[in-house]
Amino acid sequence: MLHSDIKSRPVYRALEPDLSAAGHLLVIETATLQPGGLASLADAFAPVAAKLHTWLVGEAQAVPGLGKPWHLPAVADVVDALACATRGYGIGDRLYVQGTEPFLWSVATAAAIVGFGPDQIRLCHAGSLQRRVWCTHCHGFTEPVTTNVVPCAGCGRHLLVRDHFSRRLGAFMGVMVDTEAPGEVPAIEEVFA
Amino acid sequence: MIGDTLLLQVAAVTDIAPGLRHLRLVAADGGKLPPAAAGAHVQFVLEGAARTWRNAYSLVSRPGARDAWEIIVRRVPTSRGGSAFIHEQIKVGDRLVAGWPGNLFAPVRIARHHLMIAGGIGITPFLSYLAEFGFTGAGHALHVCCREGEKDVFGPWLGNSPAVAFHWDADGHRLDIPALLASQPAGTHLYVCGPAAMNDEVMAAAAAAGWPASHVHCEHFGSALSGGDPFRAFLARSGIEVDVAEDESLLDAIERAGVAAPCLCRGGACGVCVTPLLEGEAEHRDHFLSAEERAAGRLIMPCVSRARAGRLVLDL
Repeated sequence: MLHSDIKSRPVYRALEPDLSAAGHLLVIETATLQPGGLASLADAFAPVAAKLHTWLVGEAQAVPGLGKPWHLPAVADVVDALACATRGYGIGDRLYVQGTEPFLWSVATAAAIVGFGPDQIRLCHAGSLQRRVWCTHCHGFTEPVTTNVVPCAGCGRHLLVRDHFSRRLGAFMGVMVDTEAPGEVPAIEEVFA
Repeated sequence: MIGDTLLLQVAAVTDIAPGLRHLRLVAADGGKLPPAAAGAHVQFVLEGAARTWRNAYSLVSRPGARDAWEIIVRRVPTSRGGSAFIHEQIKVGDRLVAGWPGNLFAPVRIARHHLMIAGGIGITPFLSYLAEFGFTGAGHALHVCCREGEKDVFGPWLGNSPAVAFHWDADGHRLDIPALLASQPAGTHLYVCGPAAMNDEVMAAAAAAGWPASHVHCEHFGSALSGGDPFRAFLARSGIEVDVAEDESLLDAIERAGVAAPCLCRGGACGVCVTPLLEGEAEHRDHFLSAEERAAGRLIMPCVSRARAGRLVLDL
């Protein structure tokens, strides 16, 4: 589903707890859950249930086994909650995130700012293939993007959405598609539904 | 100074404590030395009357210093003899051949916080770390486990830093390693340098506390690792048979026979000396080869590893 010829693309895997960790934070974009998805996550994390915190982002019915989940309306609230944590996160903690790629990387970037290293973070892609696109011309972001070409939300140029991904920005590179022949924009297709 | 090796001159010799000798070394031609970063080591050629030692020591001089390098050498009674040579023979004005600086233990500069644990003379790489962190302002803490009588020896390098704590073997003064490692913030990197048993204890405690392996860094002492039962090795390409004495490493014996073997750290860490093993069974003491490579039995690191039994045949 996330096939790419570019070898540096992140690889996502199903979430499972790191049993050696001191604490576990599970952050779920609930819109990406399949029926029964929360229950199977609860099963996977049962061995560490005593040290597990679950943040459910969006509408969700809690299920047994994930402790008393914390409900957050949107990914921006996750970013704020990580940044404002009164209890610092420890080197033994692990963060597990499930959701679309822009969600995964918004959370991972916010976690990195409070000190989480890459080996403390596990990401699992779920739901839409929608992308965040970074414009190489105006440096603005456009999201969610599900098409091969998209007008930039910052400068209005038509951007070709490339497969080049930046972990720092959590975004794909977008370059002006009609530089050589202004106005000649290829057919716009929905490819990241 | 350019070339494969550097010629140094001993500018000062100071015994800072019983069994601890500090050397200040300058370029013999009066020029500048190559700069070395925090955690760097240099390999010195020590020409004794009967034999030559090649020992690597951490630089304790300020990172980047080009006027002089400094090392601190503990005299190890059971060692191969290089440290005894430094304590008994070296005097001001002597010239020493040295390699270029290597660094297998540099601090991770994206770390939020640096936690250092030193055992005894394992403090030496951290003296250059402290100089760097003092300059960059990076958050850090150094825990030194040593004999009570030696806790003031390193004062000139430590100042009165509140980031340095000493621990020794007495009630109320021992370092509680699991408690220390359980309370570290995300973004911390851990560095340990000490005797093998302490290194192992710290590494195991870090794993138990959930530290990602990529945040845990260890430097072992090389010299104490390399002695053992005498054995014989045959260098297949050179056609030379060498006897490895109990107080020298296989690498020492190979060099004594006049065969040039590449090496860098002489402590089983860097992997530069890894050599194909054609026959015989090795007793692996390095920290470089993987479990699979050890099991395959086709490689050996002659700077620390020896023969388990009988003769070794090396492709050298």
